[in-house]
Amino acid sequence: MTPTSRLELYETMVRIRELETSVESLHYSGRMHGSFHSSMGQEAAAAGVTGCLRPADLVTSTHRGHGHAIAKGMSPTTIVAELLGLQPGSSGGKGGSMHLHDIACGFLGENAIVAGGVPWAAGAAWASRRLGKDLVAVSFVGDGGAAQGVLAETLRMARTFGTPLLVACENNHLAHSMPSERTFGEPGSIAAWAAGFGMRAEYVAGDDVFAVHRLATEMIDEVRASGRAAFVEIEVWRVRAHSLNDPDYRYLPKDLGKSYLQTHDPIANAERDLPLTDAEAATIRERIAGEIAEAIDAALEGQAAPARLATTGVYSEAFEQEGRRRGW
Amino acid sequence: MAGEVKYAEAIRQALADELSSDPRVVVMGQEIEALGGVFTATQGLAERFEGRVLDTPLAESATVGWAIGAAMAGLRPVVEIMFMDFITTAMDQIVNGAAKLRYMSGGQVAVPIVIRTPSDAGTGHGPQHSQHLETWFAHVPGLVVAMPSTVADAYWMLRHSIQDDNPVVFVESKYLYFRESGEIGASTAADHPYAARIARRGRSVTVVTAGRMVAESLAAAESLAAEGVDCEVVDLRFIWPYDRETLAESVERTNRLIVVHEAVGDFGWGGEICSWAASELFYSLDAPIRRVAAPRAPIPFASHLESAVVPDRSAIESAVRDLARH
Ligand SMILES: Cc1ncc(C[n+]2csc(CCOP(=O)(O)OP(=O)(O)O)c2C)c(N)n1
Ligand SMILES: [Mg+2]
Repeated sequence: MTPTSRLELYETMVRIRELETSVESLHYSGRMHGSFHSSMGQEAAAAGVTGCLRPADLVTSTHRGHGHAIAKGMSPTTIVAELLGLQPGSSGGKGGSMHLHDIACGFLGENAIVAGGVPWAAGAAWASRRLGKDLVAVSFVGDGGAAQGVLAETLRMARTFGTPLLVACENNHLAHSMPSERTFGEPGSIAAWAAGFGMRAEYVAGDDVFAVHRLATEMIDEVRASGRAAFVEIEVWRVRAHSLNDPDYRYLPKDLGKSYLQTHDPIANAERDLPLTDAEAATIRERIAGEIAEAIDAALEGQAAPARLATTGVYSEAFEQEGRRRGW
Repeated sequence: MAGEVKYAEAIRQALADELSSDPRVVVMGQEIEALGGVFTATQGLAERFEGRVLDTPLAESATVGWAIGAAMAGLRPVVEIMFMDFITTAMDQIVNGAAKLRYMSGGQVAVPIVIRTPSDAGTGHGPQHSQHLETWFAHVPGLVVAMPSTVADAYWMLRHSIQDDNPVVFVESKYLYFRESGEIGASTAADHPYAARIARRGRSVTVVTAGRMVAESLAAAESLAAEGVDCEVVDLRFIWPYDRETLAESVERTNRLIVVHEAVGDFGWGGEICSWAASELFYSLDAPIRRVAAPRAPIPFASHLESAVVPDRSAIESAVRDLARH
């Protein structure tokens, strides 16, 4: 790994953290409504895994996917505009925080149905291979998602059909209030379960972006070469509450997330390991904070979509034209 | 293709012709490759189109999700769900994935998939293999719901559906697979692909129906003709979008409307047609609108019990007779 790419991994994490904390402020100030799931503390998973992909590779994500979108190259302005429900947003405001899609970046999209995007990634990677494209797909899923039937079905089908897919399971210890230990046992257990599908399945601690990236690179290379699926469980912590609509920690000590960041912050760890001096780190953080501030300003200039668009784009353009003419 | 074929053969022919003419088409499902489909719809296709007619594991949800991903990546997958009742296990992928992706992504993606699935009672498969569930899908924005009643439509509507850029739930009639024969002939799309078909012209009552119930309605119309009641039978072909123009034009001539479907009546798609007609065709109607549909019960196994719940020609006849008296 070249020093530049190590630095890029760090910068991606900073970009994610900066965007999410800035949007949180917009939410608190009433400029954003609806759900917002922060990935604070989990940035190394997004940056480390996505950082070893090529532009044409595909990613599907979860309800907690701003970080995955940024890491895959989606523009912060487009993201923020979508989060604010504005027309220049990636879906013109029809999607929102849990429905970021950017096909040009290979970001097939988030999905608010827990684990629902895993078969999309599997099928898209499989189809792309058939169409002669040498690409792979990564599907992010949570520990809660690991309990969903569709994940098991997809891993099974990945064996039957073969598909160049890496499932990246972010075990952040919680599925809303349900501790993953209760469902799966200690961290690493989800990978052990996935190994039962006859695929390579690994566990990695997610507070070290370089370790995540090293392992993911090796696994992605294998997936790309073999066309077979693999699974990686990345242990992280959910620092924030489940979502901004659920701000109180009824089920956990209030400072749990924060204390995790004090000892396991992937961004601080990367600064230590790169290494960066405090001054170097501050310069980078400031630059990125400036970029995000500009992106937010640009997004805020966007207009809300006219209400008449709410009922368009449900079907293909040709279909909707026919329907307008014929009164459907 | 000249000569008569059966409904199941028409489906197979449509799949074969799409596989031939469009390299993006793949067919996926259970028992469709080695076995050729439990209703023979894919027989011989795996040999002819190597690697494009694929047996999946018993995983309907992943299969539909996989097809969605494949469609996003540029293929046109056709998924077979062996019996319509099993579609419940893939519901999330159909409703939250296929139907919403175009909208959620602001038009960035299309999901051109077809989900073929046989419905109908009449084959002795019992409560979990016989239910008509098309209303569920007609209720979901983003989906097209097709329900062909003839050999020609089985063929042409399937071909059209595979080329449709919208996700289509394609409800086949397992009752008709081996009972209905006919010629494929020329394209059945009238002035637009989703147009209804007037299966029988008549002056007294409009009977609007789809799928297998078209044949029952036509049989009823023949007996009623002897009594001097002249039914018009409209085969909707598509439950969504349903062809309001043809329906309105028909009711404006007959001034009477009956909706016939095999699905349970309560909250069924017939209710939607009645509501639309009551509000838009009120001044053309000389009589109340009637529905002939299944009562609120699962489809029982024993033939005599099954006959007690599935609408048939005599139920249609008595409803029409009753209405014609108005
Ligand atoms: C199918 C489905 N069931 C339930 C929910 C409600 N829900 C949203 S997120 C969530 C917890 C998900 O946990 P996990 O997969 O671990 O992701 P995390 O929130 O920890 O990132 C739940 C239950 C949902 N969105 N989809
Ligand atoms: Mg979790």
